[in-house]
Amino acid sequence: MWSYLARRLLYSIPVYLGIILIMMGALRIRDPVSAYLGKNATAETAALKKASMGLDRPFLPIAVESKDDPFGVEPLAQVGRVGLYAPMKTQYFEFLSRIVRLDFGSAEKPYRSWQFESEDVGAKLADAVWPTLKITIPTLVLTAGIAILVGLLSAAMRGSAIDRTLMVLVVLGMSISVVVFIVLGQVFGSSWLNGKLGFELFASNGYEPGIGNWVRYCALPVIIGVVVGMGYDARFYRAVMVEETGRDYITTAIAKGAPRSKVIFAHMLKNAMIPVITRVMITIPFLITGSIVMEYQFRIPGMGKLLIDAIINKDFPLIQTFTAVLAGLFILTNILTDVLYALVDPRVRLA
Amino acid sequence: MRGIVRRFQARRGVGKFLRNRLAVGALGIIVLYVLGGAWVALGDVLPGRAGVTYAEVEQPVWPAAVPGLGIPATNERRVEAMRIITREVKRAVNNGEGLSDIRYGQLRLLPRAAESEPEVERLSGLVEEAEELYDQLAEFEDLNNPTGPKTEGSAPGEAAIDVPATIAELERAVHQMFAPLSAWQSVKQSMLLSLGTDRQGRSTALRAVFSIKVALQVGIVVSIISVLVGTLLGAAAAYFGGWVDHAVVWLYSTLSSMPELILLAVLVYAFSGSVFDRVANPWLALVPVYAAMCMEFWIGPCRVIRGETMKLKELEYVQAATAIGFGRFYILLRHVIPNTVHLMFINFSLLFIAAIKFEVVLSFLGLGVKVGPSWGRMIQESTQEVINGNFWQIGAATAFMFVLVLAFNIVSDALQDAFDPKHVG
Repeated sequence: MWSYLARRLLYSIPVYLGIILIMMGALRIRDPVSAYLGKNATAETAALKKASMGLDRPFLPIAVESKDDPFGVEPLAQVGRVGLYAPMKTQYFEFLSRIVRLDFGSAEKPYRSWQFESEDVGAKLADAVWPTLKITIPTLVLTAGIAILVGLLSAAMRGSAIDRTLMVLVVLGMSISVVVFIVLGQVFGSSWLNGKLGFELFASNGYEPGIGNWVRYCALPVIIGVVVGMGYDARFYRAVMVEETGRDYITTAIAKGAPRSKVIFAHMLKNAMIPVITRVMITIPFLITGSIVMEYQFRIPGMGKLLIDAIINKDFPLIQTFTAVLAGLFILTNILTDVLYALVDPRVRLA
Repeated sequence: MRGIVRRFQARRGVGKFLRNRLAVGALGIIVLYVLGGAWVALGDVLPGRAGVTYAEVEQPVWPAAVPGLGIPATNERRVEAMRIITREVKRAVNNGEGLSDIRYGQLRLLPRAAESEPEVERLSGLVEEAEELYDQLAEFEDLNNPTGPKTEGSAPGEAAIDVPATIAELERAVHQMFAPLSAWQSVKQSMLLSLGTDRQGRSTALRAVFSIKVALQVGIVVSIISVLVGTLLGAAAAYFGGWVDHAVVWLYSTLSSMPELILLAVLVYAFSGSVFDRVANPWLALVPVYAAMCMEFWIGPCRVIRGETMKLKELEYVQAATAIGFGRFYILLRHVIPNTVHLMFINFSLLFIAAIKFEVVLSFLGLGVKVGPSWGRMIQESTQEVINGNFWQIGAATAFMFVLVLAFNIVSDALQDAFDPKHVG
């Protein structure tokens, strides 16, 4: 198992280097500095901004030689028409070393965001994690729990009116955009409900730190998130459970005369845990990213809103760091999923 | 090409698909949408004569928000609309110009070049009459509840005037200002108002229909390009193996190590701000969105078709073709890819839904459609309206999108059942 883990980690290195390369390249398709400063900026301001992010240096150590040396960096060596630069002076390797050192700004060496000029990118990211987790963890736990129950019930009562109604509702709900659920949920959950109740139970948007404010600001997004997530999950869990009910061991257990509830909860649920765990694990990276639309609409200063604000304000350092950190987390959770597989299901061998 | 079509028809799955009544019905709905989208798109080719242009969807068809389906607006909204029209006409009459510019949908004040003396005289008479009626109504604090308290300076208690009758009188006076509508024009006007208007008085029905074109445009462009790229790369990777396979697998595992929406948002940022933001042609304004979606969506078909090709290339007929001495590219294009056509169709249908859904989310976040309406933008704009209880815009956008996505969901389920029965999902 340890060798498997080591191999997976090794294999994910080229994938990670690749995603950083692709994302950094994509972020340089348009000039980040002129996108941020607009057309009216002077050449000096633009040059200063460029130099502050090292955007004036070559992107990769290899570049086709040109006479007037566009990068202002002396090539280390010259092979025919191709110039080789010192790797650590290129943007790609400099950013990689930043990721490896997890250095996204400190008191001595700031790494400033462009839209919040007094704040470091790392501090911005760290601030946004907690509000996101306050919404995503309850959403994930509640959705998974309720959806598994609905899936189980639906599978146990397969073909009945309740099962069919549930599944039709789920399919209909899936054809409506998530955005609509969020907008309508916000209106009915806050202004309409508060009008009926006579006091403010849920705020329509905004955020304040502190666990005491959780119900006021975070409960409504969690409820909407559960409703939205339910559709996809319940359908999936039902399919899993239905497949499991057809297995021989279930027939055997029923033939033996085991009580129905015991068959469902003790035998079936345990064996259906593998796809369930995969499903839950797949959603873990979204714990960090949060639901972008939800945070945007409820003005919750989490990771999703941070990214959209950064994109709207063309905050290049923040976008670049955000994607790099996120991709790393995503890859790590994927590896973790595979390892968990083996722990849950002894039949899976990680050779 | 003909060979591919014939081979496709010969499949048993086609018959199975056509026997599924629900799926055929859904296919019919999709065809209706495509026809609607094509009709709207005619506006770009023959502006003014057919289709819908970008200018038309932005024009108000009524001065204030009204509900659709013939449901009457509240008294307050009705009076507000009349007041806006009266004010506008009065300004034009006083200035002595711009009378022929005043129009709401099919309603025009005057036919062009008819700003004659007696006409202006008649209009100013109607304006005076309307203002008088409006002044009577302005005494009420809450027109929706006319027996309630009046504003300061007037006696409290029962209403002195009959509010509904006065409003009807006011509306009659205002309607007389406009040139009478022909039968066809009044049908058109009532169709424009059929799903109500938004806060700026723009026709919700027209905007929702116009968005069909935007959605189909995104869906068709993105899913065709993604399926083609994915098929070619996936089939080539599996068939040639070696470094081609390694490169393709590396590329898609790399791109899929980012959550979908995040990758899309960042790529839209990356591709926009270039030439395409400055072009006036709205067909090209969406290029950043297309590019971002294509970079992401080719992965799905690529994975599936790579797996299928792995299986196909071991089959006897491919080995026979190799033994006869056909070239590798010929075998790939002629014998392997045509046998993955059913997977291409299934993936096309799945990607179509994904493209439409992501277009809505991106437009909602302000990253997608920026010129003209789309369902996402309509939902975004309606967030200010739903607070005031005006659900027409969000309802129309949701309903139009719901029917299309549901139809595609049914079709792709049926396609999967018919052609890929082993698939579990």
